[in-house]
Amino acid sequence: MIFTIFKKELTDTLRDRRTIIAMIVVPILVFPIILGLSTSVSKYFDDKQKEEVLKVALISEDTDNQFTQRLSAIPDSLGPKELIFRQDTIGLKKEISEDSLQLAIVIPADFDQQQKENQQSTIQVFHKGVNLGNKDRVEGYVSIIENTLLEDRFERLSLDKQLIDPINEQYVDISSKKEVIGKVAGGFLPYLFIIFGFIGCMYPAIDLFTGEKERKTLETLLTTPVPRWKILVGKMLVISLSGIAAAVFALVGMFAGLRLFNLVDIPGINEIIDGILTPSFIVGLLILLIPLTIFFAGIMIPATIYAKSFKEAQSVLTPVNFIIFLPAIIGMLPNIELDYTTAFIPIVNIVLATKEMVAGTIDFVLLGISYLVMVIFAALSILFSYKRFGRESNIVS
Amino acid sequence: MIQVQYIRKEFELTKKQQKENNTSEKVAVAVNDISFECKPGRIFSLLGPNGAGKTTTLRMLAGILQPTSGSIQINEIDIQKNPNEAKKDIGFLTGSTGLYERLTANEIISYFAKLYGVSDQDFKQRKEHLYELLGMHDFQDKRIGRLSTGMKQKVSIARTMIHDPKVVIFDEPTSGLDVITAENIIKLISDCKEQGKTVIFSSHIMSEVDLLCDDLAIIHKGNIVHSSTMEEYRNAMTTSSLTAEFIKIINENN
Repeated sequence: MIFTIFKKELTDTLRDRRTIIAMIVVPILVFPIILGLSTSVSKYFDDKQKEEVLKVALISEDTDNQFTQRLSAIPDSLGPKELIFRQDTIGLKKEISEDSLQLAIVIPADFDQQQKENQQSTIQVFHKGVNLGNKDRVEGYVSIIENTLLEDRFERLSLDKQLIDPINEQYVDISSKKEVIGKVAGGFLPYLFIIFGFIGCMYPAIDLFTGEKERKTLETLLTTPVPRWKILVGKMLVISLSGIAAAVFALVGMFAGLRLFNLVDIPGINEIIDGILTPSFIVGLLILLIPLTIFFAGIMIPATIYAKSFKEAQSVLTPVNFIIFLPAIIGMLPNIELDYTTAFIPIVNIVLATKEMVAGTIDFVLLGISYLVMVIFAALSILFSYKRFGRESNIVS
Repeated sequence: MIQVQYIRKEFELTKKQQKENNTSEKVAVAVNDISFECKPGRIFSLLGPNGAGKTTTLRMLAGILQPTSGSIQINEIDIQKNPNEAKKDIGFLTGSTGLYERLTANEIISYFAKLYGVSDQDFKQRKEHLYELLGMHDFQDKRIGRLSTGMKQKVSIARTMIHDPKVVIFDEPTSGLDVITAENIIKLISDCKEQGKTVIFSSHIMSEVDLLCDDLAIIHKGNIVHSSTMEEYRNAMTTSSLTAEFIKIINENN
């Protein structure tokens, strides 16, 4: 009987455009679109910045100083520039603020003499702070010039460069690339599942409970000789399955965006993805998602049974949404790990366990505790839903 | 056969409802210890103004609501003690019944047949009979959302009758329907009687009652204020019409 209800509710759900959009279309497209857009937008601005010819005014009484010479020698591959020589700073600020000039560098007249005497020269750089890239560009130029001047000084003074670098530190990272990704970016993956798992559950939950009330079909269903718990379980399975489907489609979308369409240009990313998305990881994740989505369904059903309209159900579930996302965000924070405390906190434990699974450092005892805790919470949420579904004031208007 | 003995239904009032109803009572009595009996092959009509307790009574008979006290026997099965067994014998149709808009007529009929545990053979026979009777063949594969009100009502009828219930409960079945669509329901009710089924229907349309009813009870403010056969009701009339007599009885019990 549960299967009959499940089959009918699934058919009904799969014919609902809103559910299809929330369960399949959005999760599968969101990552390729976000990744594609953010990559192409940032690439466009990077390219634009690199190609932009900076007009740099050099103000000095000595137009042939070493700073100017070395600046002119910096190749255009590090950013094209046009040098303009000025005698004074009159009108500079106005020109920079109007963008007819991007930078102005005031070089002391005795720059060469100061350098010869191994003194420190002060240069003044005028720039427009809102154009962040321009300041970065000039800092790059100055750093190159400073290095060459430093090398000249060491040579002149017959000194070894090690003199100003007494420690040569060598870091040997024993964690694998996979572990690093797991700890740093691994929190994102479960966060994704929680968002899409929740949204995937939400529309079917509203449709299968509030929708039945609104369309006046629930009363008829309750006159059938089917125990209420079977009706509840049949519906709950569809809600839970929709949540799992949404999370899986989000994973597929992310995989397609990164692996198939190469939307992100990070060296070695494909090997890392292949290393993370192993069949055992996917199976493990699906097993974790089952109690999680049942728990979601269990906490949504009482709200959707209580609500009298689709709109009311949505407004009741929105705060629940935030309550759910909070532990997901906590799990994303660095330095919070799965231990004998966090394993007992529902949702947080699933987020952290997934993170550990991505990194390949999962402790199976902690995983077992996390799973058991989530199963208990899922069972409690089912019980709570059953009690609410049994309340006459909730099921008839 | 439906046997109703001293059923009472109380609803808890929320503080908001107490304020709205201007009462300090924590419960509202919707149905107040009523008893009646509906016999097979006869049509029992439950009459009453809006808010009298008709729908609450019928929902208790259908097993949707639990009575606060009293007992209901459906074909000698206690619906409170054995709800799923009793429900197998009940068909329930209301004027406001909704259908699953995204499913086809065939899918709905088949779904309800499965919920009632109808065997495949019985399902095929009954479906064919009902589709023929109601002229449903042309739209059986169309989704409910694309059907007219009349077509939807026919699907509702087929859905109600697919398990061949021995007891049929109609709650204001013709409310909101045009005369042609309402005629399908009137015919269904009289067919049920001919087939020896126990029929109870609630209404406040006296022409329907006059046409169909064998026994009647008038319910007002949760109490039964009149109970008799239709013949006795007609014979005892002191006013010019059935409606006027109904209003007189209600006014006498205000």
